[in-house]
Amino acid sequence: MKAAIFKRNEFYLLLVIAAFSFAITLINPAFLTIENMFDLIRSSSGMTILAIGFFVVLLSGGIDISFPAVAIVAQYISVKSILALGIDDIWLAFAIAIAIGIAFGAANAFFISVFRIPTLIVTLGTMNIFHGAMLEFVGTKAIMVGELPNCFKTFGLTDILSLPRADGTQYGLSVFFLIVVGALLATWVILRFTVMGRVIHAMGGNMEAVKRSGYNIARVQFFIYCYVGFLASIMGIIHVSLISYSVPTYIIDSELLHVIAAVILGGASILGGTGSLTGTILGVIMMTILEKNLVMLGLSSFWQQFFVGLIIVLGVSVTHIQKRIRSRT
Amino acid sequence: MNTKLSTNLTLLAILVVITAVVSLILPGQFLTARNFASMGRQFPEYGLLSLANMLAMVTGGIDLSVTSVMSISGVASSLILSQYPSLPLPAGLVILLGILAALAVSAACGLINGALIAYVRVPAIIATLGTQGLFLGVSIGVTKGHGIGGFPDAFLFIGNGDLGGIPTQFIIFIAVALLVGLLLTRTRQGFYMLMYGSNPLVSRFSGVNNEAVLMRTYLTTGLLAGAASIIVISGVNSIRPGYGSEYLLISVLIAILGGTDPAGGFGTALGLTLGIFILQALQSGLNFLNFSPFFKKFMWGLLLLAVMVFHHFRRLYSQRRAIRRLAAQREPAANGGSV
Amino acid sequence: MSDVFLEARNISKAYEGVKALRDVSMTIGRGEVHCLVGENGSGKSTLIKIIGGVVAADAGVVVIGGRAHAHLAAIDAIREGIQIIYQDLSLYPNLTVAENISFNQFVERRASFVSWRDVRSIAERALEEIGEQIPLEQIVQDLSVAKRQIVAITRSLTQNARLIIMDEPTSAITKEDVEHLFSVIARLKAKGISTLFISHKLSEVFEIAEVVTILRDGMKVGDFPASELDDAKLTYLMTGQRIQYSPYRFSGEKKAAAPLLEVRGLTRKGQFQDVSFSLWPGEILGLTGLIGSGRTELALALFGLNPPDAGQVFLNGRVVRVRSPEEALRRGIAYLPEDRLTQGLFIGQSIGDNIIITILKKLLGALGLIDPLRRRKTENSWLEELQIKAPSPKVRAWSLSGGNQQRVVLAKWLATDPKVFILDGPTIGIDIASKSNIHQIIRALAERGIAIILISDEIPEVLHNCNRLLVMREGRLVREVADATSVGEEELLTAIGGKLTNKTA
Repeated sequence: MKAAIFKRNEFYLLLVIAAFSFAITLINPAFLTIENMFDLIRSSSGMTILAIGFFVVLLSGGIDISFPAVAIVAQYISVKSILALGIDDIWLAFAIAIAIGIAFGAANAFFISVFRIPTLIVTLGTMNIFHGAMLEFVGTKAIMVGELPNCFKTFGLTDILSLPRADGTQYGLSVFFLIVVGALLATWVILRFTVMGRVIHAMGGNMEAVKRSGYNIARVQFFIYCYVGFLASIMGIIHVSLISYSVPTYIIDSELLHVIAAVILGGASILGGTGSLTGTILGVIMMTILEKNLVMLGLSSFWQQFFVGLIIVLGVSVTHIQKRIRSRT
Repeated sequence: MNTKLSTNLTLLAILVVITAVVSLILPGQFLTARNFASMGRQFPEYGLLSLANMLAMVTGGIDLSVTSVMSISGVASSLILSQYPSLPLPAGLVILLGILAALAVSAACGLINGALIAYVRVPAIIATLGTQGLFLGVSIGVTKGHGIGGFPDAFLFIGNGDLGGIPTQFIIFIAVALLVGLLLTRTRQGFYMLMYGSNPLVSRFSGVNNEAVLMRTYLTTGLLAGAASIIVISGVNSIRPGYGSEYLLISVLIAILGGTDPAGGFGTALGLTLGIFILQALQSGLNFLNFSPFFKKFMWGLLLLAVMVFHHFRRLYSQRRAIRRLAAQREPAANGGSV
Repeated sequence: MSDVFLEARNISKAYEGVKALRDVSMTIGRGEVHCLVGENGSGKSTLIKIIGGVVAADAGVVVIGGRAHAHLAAIDAIREGIQIIYQDLSLYPNLTVAENISFNQFVERRASFVSWRDVRSIAERALEEIGEQIPLEQIVQDLSVAKRQIVAITRSLTQNARLIIMDEPTSAITKEDVEHLFSVIARLKAKGISTLFISHKLSEVFEIAEVVTILRDGMKVGDFPASELDDAKLTYLMTGQRIQYSPYRFSGEKKAAAPLLEVRGLTRKGQFQDVSFSLWPGEILGLTGLIGSGRTELALALFGLNPPDAGQVFLNGRVVRVRSPEEALRRGIAYLPEDRLTQGLFIGQSIGDNIIITILKKLLGALGLIDPLRRRKTENSWLEELQIKAPSPKVRAWSLSGGNQQRVVLAKWLATDPKVFILDGPTIGIDIASKSNIHQIIRALAERGIAIILISDEIPEVLHNCNRLLVMREGRLVREVADATSVGEEELLTAIGGKLTNKTA
């Protein structure tokens, strides 16, 4: 039964993560400490949120490669706007970013649903349109720590839980965690308990049938791509708050493949219809652990790109071979 | 249903219009021998990559790894070429080895892609998305991010020399484009590629070895990317991994602009070449008007979507026309008998 | 209160000048099992789409439960209780049975939120109503085709269906499942739900239908109680002609030589078992049996698409292992597929391209390149030889009629000069005149010395065109008839496991 096999997929991933964590802790005992966990959570929150968005798109049978561009465009414009307006408010920053993210997503949805252009090509196009336009018309100047409005820096340092260290200093669980949990919950509810969420699953399973059922597909497409845009824009703010500077050429190169690798590792099918949030989270955890500990495994950071590519290739191969074996029995 | 002639004629018309417009905006600058020579040096790099993606699309796939294959082959080649001073071999031999290295590595990459797509049955999008990272990763890992330079002078002839006033790489490109055209119109493999792209199931039922067709397709795209790498490193006398990453968008754009159907089954080398010329003319125009590379990014993204929208309407129009024609055919035979 | 559920009155529909339906009227009673038959192009699909509101009629009304609808929309049709089950079933393979069954309900309710308790109860209730049991949590992808069909039918019940329309429901399921399906239809009938289905399987039509509506060329020929019809009468009414069959006579001399093809103990788990037979050049060997009997699976095994688990195949006395269609082609084995639209033709390419794909090697000229002159000549000669009605080889395959399309596929394989030619259902969905034409072509091929296997479930076709018959049933070869003229239709039908053609209620 497929449900059982599928659960096996995530189960194996959990086992692998456990094994890896165990091995790493042997080499570096500082790995499995609360402080390290908090730190990992803080730095991987952004990728997690992007992964959730990408997963939703994949589930519907589409693919969106513009989400990193959305993140950086939303981030950069938001930062510049805050600077220009002089209103040092993190909520305003979020509002501006989210507005941009949703607009970007709506543009994607428009071309996908009205002109029936393949999703890969649309997002390839919009990614360049928006990023290129921003670089051209808004500028390419990096905004360094000194110039960055305080709201971001403060937000980045905000913790929801604080624990003391041996030397009296504090470390904490970042507020990012709250956002991630919020995004997870919201997505879970949508996918599991709303009709539209089930339609998203259905689209990945049999798009033709959904069309025949009379459901308004364009509305779902708009939701999906605006949702990705929404999540990506949030990630953009988290990102700048995390690293404390805004470079308009960032995110795109570093995040795209990593997120895709994470989601695929988590068991989502590139063709749509299958996958789970649990798997996605596990995939992100796996990727994070691997990334952070690459050096420990003897690989210089220059090989990271290779590694991520390898993960995607292997991950997809395994999934496909599994599928073929299953269909033969 | 496109016909080759109507698609290519449309492209030719567009090319003429664009050329006219650009030369009007930039009198005395565009239509000069110097500009043509300069354009002739620019486009072969991405032109070859576009040919690669056209072939991939003809089979219903796509090759997102072309720029990375270009990178890794360039690195392989550079490693040999840059050793020239310390190798006890004549320059010609080193150059030959360098070229062979590029082609060998790119062929291997192509075969990896082909194997994933043909045997593991991974969809081309995701397979090449993964290998893109893989190949680029190797280039970065090997070079540690640095560039490699210092090649034998004779080698630089490919990217900087000319034969009778025509840039070498232009000639190379035309030769390759002709070969690709020949491949698609006059060879068995090309025929199989088109038919496989049209319907893989029927292709199998017709006794075609689908796996071999896919392997050959991606082997070819790999080799084309390898050839592109030779032109690139010869042109700038060095390699930097990650060079030409913007070419990916351009290669997909040109393939589609040139009339290739991303769903598979249709594509011509002539159309592709016309697409390249159109893009190059636009690019030159933008260069002359001092638009930044970011604006160009913006433009190409816009153009990609514009072309797809255009195809959408074109398809709609031709479908309606086809139904009408079909109706006219059937009408006389509508009274029993074989229809 | 009338007994009539739906009445289609004077329906006409034209597509861009072509009249698909001309003044067609049809009545479906409550709880009636009604069958719609007709050749391809007769308008059956169009009529069903109009009744379902998917397509708008140009003229005429659809009267449902006494209410007349001049412009019936799909939503209205559904509300009136009309449900269409398409051939591909429109199910979601990645979702559970329960979800699939209740999906449309939630769409209709325009609900925002899903109540999983509701999903279960809707599905449970619907399954109970129809008297079926399928595990609710099972993913549809893992179900057999027959079970999926049940799910599709159950789904239509959730929207208070009063009329369920099925398009060729029995074309892909085994005989057992067909029986099961019929019992489900009977249960629907007991509930007062009418069934309208399109079928071309005449034996089934007679088994289950109460009333048969026959369409020809967009016009209604008539409505007949099934008890008044038989095979011959039905065919005559559908086509307007009687098929004249003259039995095929096999010239005995060719039989002296050793068999061209010999199959021994061929087995593939779950499909066919221990199949053995021989085939001589010049023969037309009929292979018949119901769906699921293993005949197509056997053919695909010979063609290299379905490798057997055990057994041997001999060509000209030598053992061969055909592992791919490519190899089959090389050895001179050709296969005309069951479904020419999805397996036989590149529907968007030119017919010339379709024909030469198997023989490119023969068209090579200088430098190993395809010689355009030789190519054009070959294409044209095949168009002529098989009398394919098209102005030029450049015409796209989709623009041809069924009969001409089949001829293109035939040409493709004939061009390979095959020694063994397996034809799987070569005349399905083809009009009468083309049918007999294709039979003539097949006979001519046999006369040339090609060994032919003709797979068909149309008993008359097989009886009159073959010199020898093999009957398969549930994967086994149950009967070999050395002389086709020695056996009668009914006998053969029994051997296959089918029912008599004329069933009295």
